[in-house]
Amino acid sequence: MVAAEAGDAAARERLVEAFMPAIASIARGYPSGAGFERGELIQEGIAGLLFAARRYDFRLQTPFWAYAAFWVRKAMQELAAEVGRPVSLSDRAVRSLARIRSARREHLQTHRSEPTIKDLSRATGLTPHQVNSLLATERIPRGLEEPIDPTEETATTVGETIADPTAEEAYSGVLQRIEISEMRELASRLEEREQLVLRAHYGLGQPAQTLAQIGESLGLTAERVRQIETAALRRLRDGLARPALPEERST
Amino acid sequence: MSSVPDGLVELGSMPRFRHTAFVYETQDEYVSRSVAFLREGLEMDEGAVIVNTRPLLGVMREALGADAGKVAFVDLESVQTRPSRTLAAYNEVYVDLLQRAPSVRAVAGVAHGPDRDEWDEWIGFEAVLNRAFEHLPAWVVCTYDGSGLPAPVREGVLQTHPEMLTGDGWRKSGEYEDAVQVLRKTAREPEPLQGLRAIPATDDLESFQQRLATELANEGVPVAKRLDMILAGREIAANALRHGGGLSAIRLGSFDGRFVCEVIDRGGGFDDPTVGFLAPRSGVGKGLWVARQLTWRIEFFRSTSGFVARIWL
Repeated sequence: MVAAEAGDAAARERLVEAFMPAIASIARGYPSGAGFERGELIQEGIAGLLFAARRYDFRLQTPFWAYAAFWVRKAMQELAAEVGRPVSLSDRAVRSLARIRSARREHLQTHRSEPTIKDLSRATGLTPHQVNSLLATERIPRGLEEPIDPTEETATTVGETIADPTAEEAYSGVLQRIEISEMRELASRLEEREQLVLRAHYGLGQPAQTLAQIGESLGLTAERVRQIETAALRRLRDGLARPALPEERST
Repeated sequence: MSSVPDGLVELGSMPRFRHTAFVYETQDEYVSRSVAFLREGLEMDEGAVIVNTRPLLGVMREALGADAGKVAFVDLESVQTRPSRTLAAYNEVYVDLLQRAPSVRAVAGVAHGPDRDEWDEWIGFEAVLNRAFEHLPAWVVCTYDGSGLPAPVREGVLQTHPEMLTGDGWRKSGEYEDAVQVLRKTAREPEPLQGLRAIPATDDLESFQQRLATELANEGVPVAKRLDMILAGREIAANALRHGGGLSAIRLGSFDGRFVCEVIDRGGGFDDPTVGFLAPRSGVGKGLWVARQLTWRIEFFRSTSGFVARIWL
């Protein structure tokens, strides 16, 4: 978990893999066809998990999953709320929605069961996508905070053990997005020669070398290499300590 | 009879930096008040920024319509991980906007998790915000979703914001407390750490950095994070040499999966809990601000062996 927070991509992957069944299980608590795909919910859930991993402090009294589940649910809830918020409909959309409601009532009377999107599509002449979109404008997700098992919030459920076909796709998509947006390796802010000196001198991903050894490979004196290193460290510091305002504006 | 809610009083004269809280009950209320606040600033050519979750940013973008192009949108999840990093991210955004605008308005969502100790940490963040950017021409409205907002967080909101946006308009908070006072109340006492090992204390910064690099490698710290620690350690050690009378001890190791380095100096130390949280400016140094950004947490405390800066990577 600490390694995942620290930027270790492999650790993040392991973290997501470990909690994917639990995330998928929470996603299954949402009604299908509510204007968002299961994969979208899972993506939000993974983003919530990774946010939790970056924030979680082992000194907290809350166990990690109890902490992370809060953010996973919150992320999914916000997606659902965004999709479910009131939308202004055109006259045509209002008439189409009325046809869907009417078809649903007839189906319920005839079959004593909820119609599927396909049933509604067949009965109204609208495409399944149109039916889904229109229903999304009035549906509110139910029981978002309800645990899957009300007696044990974090207990494993049957649902958690079933592989979710959309999970893998969602997982790789989010990880790529987060990796790109969070790429912040300090050394990458420097010029190539400065990077080379720091990596070699501090043994970052390679055996450490003395200033003299580095100088030899670069055709420079040890003193010159030391100057390059000092300048590089100063540049990193200045970049991070960006002045709050140009001096003439800050006083 | 006054219509001002309990804990609030009428506003007096306005400071250069304004820090306001807005506890909303519905998303519509959040959107309408936030959009009105930002639009008022845009009409005066002020810079504008919104910090919130991606779904809420989407809602705000839509509500702002053509004005959205003049507003900076910041994903809360990318900046609100550690208070020091959040302050640094806000500083970046404000500085960027202030290059082009005379002042800035911000609507910043604040995320509180499920753990009470963490609430204290973010209450401390809100407190220090008053000092971190007090030199800036900025007005920051922190937004809280009031549905299910825990009582201690709600109380912290009143204590850390000099003013509130209420149904009756802008009101001064009668419960506002100084940042130092709040930070002292919310800070956790550093715990004794067993198992750290001592390495020779040296007043030579280069040797210290070299040794730190070796120890980081031995502890298996990811390569991408080692330079962060080397740079942070350098800043702390340089500070100890400059103000603390030199290093008396260095202890390091891993604790609960995190690399820890204690730099102990011979000086009397300091008591100001805002150190390293204030954006650099004239009279406010860069070193500890940089060190806090690069690390998970830095604790400062006195011990029998001297003044300790404990750095958690």
